[in-house]
Amino acid sequence: MSNSITINGQPHGVDVDAGMPLLWFLRDTLELTGTKYGCGMALCGACTVHVDGQAVRSCSTPVSVAFGKNVTTIEGLSQDGSHPLQIAWLNNNVPQCGYCQAGQIMSAAGFLAQNSNPTSEEVDQAMQGNICRCGTYKRIRRAVLEAAHAMQEA
Amino acid sequence: MSTNPKTDLPMKLKMNGGILNAGGDVFRINRRDFLTTTGLAAGGLAIGVTLPLGAQANATAFEPNAFVHIAPNGDTTLHCGRCEMGQGISTALPQAVADELEADWNRVTVLQGDGDAKYGPQATGGSNSINQMFEPMRKAGAAAKEMLMAAAAQTWGVPIGDVHAELHHVYHADGRSLSYGELAATAAALPVPKDPTLKTPDQFRYIGKSLSRHDQGDIVIGRRTYGSDAKVAGIKYAAITHVPVYGGRVKSFDATEALKMKGVVKVVKIDRFANPYGSLGGVAVVADNTWTAQQALKKISIEWKKGEHGDYDTEAYKAELVKQVEAPAEQVFEKGNLPGAFEAAQQRLSGTYVGGHLSHSPMEPMASLVSVRDDSCEVWASTQDPNGIQKTLGAFLEREPNDITVHVMASGGAFGRKFKCDYVQEAAALSQAVGAPVQLTWSREEDTRAGYYHSCSAQHIEASLDEQGNVTGWLHRAAFPSIGTTFNPAQERPSEGDLDAVSGHPYGIANMRVESGLSKGHTRIGWYRSVYAIFYGFAINVFSDELAHAAGVDTLTFLRRIYDNNNDPELAEQARLSRGVLNLAAEKAGWGKTLPDNQGLGIAVHHCFESYVAMVVHAEVNGDDIKVHRVDCAIDCGLVLNPDIATAQMEGAVIMGLGLSLNTEITFREGAVVNSNFHDYPVLRIQDAPAEINVYFTNTEATPTGLGEPGVPTLPPALINAIFAASGKRYRSLPIKPITV
Repeated sequence: MSNSITINGQPHGVDVDAGMPLLWFLRDTLELTGTKYGCGMALCGACTVHVDGQAVRSCSTPVSVAFGKNVTTIEGLSQDGSHPLQIAWLNNNVPQCGYCQAGQIMSAAGFLAQNSNPTSEEVDQAMQGNICRCGTYKRIRRAVLEAAHAMQEA
Repeated sequence: MSTNPKTDLPMKLKMNGGILNAGGDVFRINRRDFLTTTGLAAGGLAIGVTLPLGAQANATAFEPNAFVHIAPNGDTTLHCGRCEMGQGISTALPQAVADELEADWNRVTVLQGDGDAKYGPQATGGSNSINQMFEPMRKAGAAAKEMLMAAAAQTWGVPIGDVHAELHHVYHADGRSLSYGELAATAAALPVPKDPTLKTPDQFRYIGKSLSRHDQGDIVIGRRTYGSDAKVAGIKYAAITHVPVYGGRVKSFDATEALKMKGVVKVVKIDRFANPYGSLGGVAVVADNTWTAQQALKKISIEWKKGEHGDYDTEAYKAELVKQVEAPAEQVFEKGNLPGAFEAAQQRLSGTYVGGHLSHSPMEPMASLVSVRDDSCEVWASTQDPNGIQKTLGAFLEREPNDITVHVMASGGAFGRKFKCDYVQEAAALSQAVGAPVQLTWSREEDTRAGYYHSCSAQHIEASLDEQGNVTGWLHRAAFPSIGTTFNPAQERPSEGDLDAVSGHPYGIANMRVESGLSKGHTRIGWYRSVYAIFYGFAINVFSDELAHAAGVDTLTFLRRIYDNNNDPELAEQARLSRGVLNLAAEKAGWGKTLPDNQGLGIAVHHCFESYVAMVVHAEVNGDDIKVHRVDCAIDCGLVLNPDIATAQMEGAVIMGLGLSLNTEITFREGAVVNSNFHDYPVLRIQDAPAEINVYFTNTEATPTGLGEPGVPTLPPALINAIFAASGKRYRSLPIKPITV
């Protein structure tokens, strides 16, 4: 396994401490700041990214875990902001401060990849690891269901 | 003095939930400075914008004031002077400018203004952006539009009365037109009208419409940048740990192991900066990246000196507050004849209500990037108060405030916390220490433990009822560490101003006494979303529900009767508007409807920050399990600028109100905060969010008032009253299900 990670389709060599959380490699080394720090303990979900399609909390994932793997961040979820979740987020005017929303969207994307036709309760269950302090939960719930619907139609 | 809260400035200042009285001079100074700068008189809400900046004859772009910039190709940039923290102000204010400008919103880019007096008062708190800036923003747009019209009239050699502006063009009655871009250079040479004509409401194009937030496209692709995202060449990253006790200090520390780590630049002791917005003091590490700084920090052994607040214990302190309010305290307000009313009472009732400290805990912890050089200081910060940063860094660096450049970044939540700039001053100290730009991001633990907390509080109310169940007398005692203690540690109890919201409550009970209990400060107290209105709204509404039950009257009927009985002419409008939202919420919620067992409705109404809110909560209680099914909110905030953004503010207030009702409390032991992160400060998560939150606005043509804060205070009491209706259990202390830490 090489010390290299493919991030949003681009290979990146990793020359930092292998124990550094993926979050800080993304934010400080690569300056990909769409992925946010919120708690450092996998309690809030603001740092959620995908590693080989799985939603993970990058604040608690050592960069070495991603060696040789594909990482997708919010910047790479779609080429042009056209992922059904991004569209649904806009349709529902979900964001307030917006800080947690990258993590919310990445969590939801990982979830919908596994459950394409969720109930409202299943959305709550899947999204309970993502905190929004502005309180946009009602719209997050609606947007995830709307995106699921759109993905099924597509 | 007129007491119309919608129009009268002195009353307005007084009614801001204690902010002005309790926070020193922050708002007042900004306002005065601004008025002095602009030479505009302070009449009602007539705060002006900086008009003109001075037209430049050879300019090709059109920039008639600080807010409007039109390029020769017609691209239009509108600057927002107020700070964005999620409340949507950077959409709502430009929306008002664009409306009067007759701009095509699709041609508009919104930019956040740096800290600069030309934008008027930028301190963003107290829910006052909309009510202070609505008219000035409209004038900024209207002045620009009139100049563009004049430019077209001049070009065509026709009277200005023959032209009109519409969607980025000026048209002649005969159908000719020129675009704003084509007119920019000509307009730039014209005089700026001092008193432009504003639209009538029927002419509004954007005001009152739910335009989407200008920044949400960037948010969903991860491109919106916050204070913690700022980057510059040569950047270093820092982590900090603070003295655990307010007023304590670093006694000694050993950084040997930390300094051995690869990538560590320097370990810096940060002294306490004894300024209300200054650092508590602590130890910080500057490194090549945040992770290294955080890891190195853990390797430093630090010995702290606790100082005078080393015994602060919130359980004991709250018990003492209760004692203070359950005995006679210092009288700050009296009217009518309270002893007489109590003497003549058919029945008397009393209740004591308690609340804990709260932490703002925005999702983005305190963060900023600062570059201090010999000849400049540049700041990129999530902030609610760029001018506060200029003043605080000016004092710290011994430079002129205007020499501090503040780039206002989007705040990842703020809720009052980012009004203070201790984290910016620390980054400045670190930048000075290492001679490089330093990005300091507090850990969640530091954010939780080094806050400016919402006051813990105790209130005791006694009231008398006559034979018909009318409230005849009201004794209200409150004790809580005032926000004033952060500015003046000698303040021993809530001031008369801190208690204004009680003394001037729209109930207008004829016989009343308000007393203030001893409650010294032992930590930094700050403005938390809704400030004192949280505990006032809680105590007054829960007690009212208890009174209604004691009187054997339905709570809605009981509340209506209180407002109807208010014959104080100075409170007439407040009583009328309170009653209006009360009726609207009750009607929409179906007050009085039959519900299954273990379910109930609770109602509450509160007036603060010039807006009026009523809520009905529908809750279900099964043992310890409390579920909120639905919340109906009614709001009178005058004219609603952007209904969807306003609705979002109320939805958010419901979530925050629910979280602080159920679970969150900051606990101190041996002087220090014992909470640390979201496991022991459990803010509300999605599974506890009500299935239904309905928001209704009266939407009058009255001057718009703010909405960031006013939604919070009614949720806790409406919930507590709903729980009582559902289960017969009465909670008088918040949070009702505290996490034991």
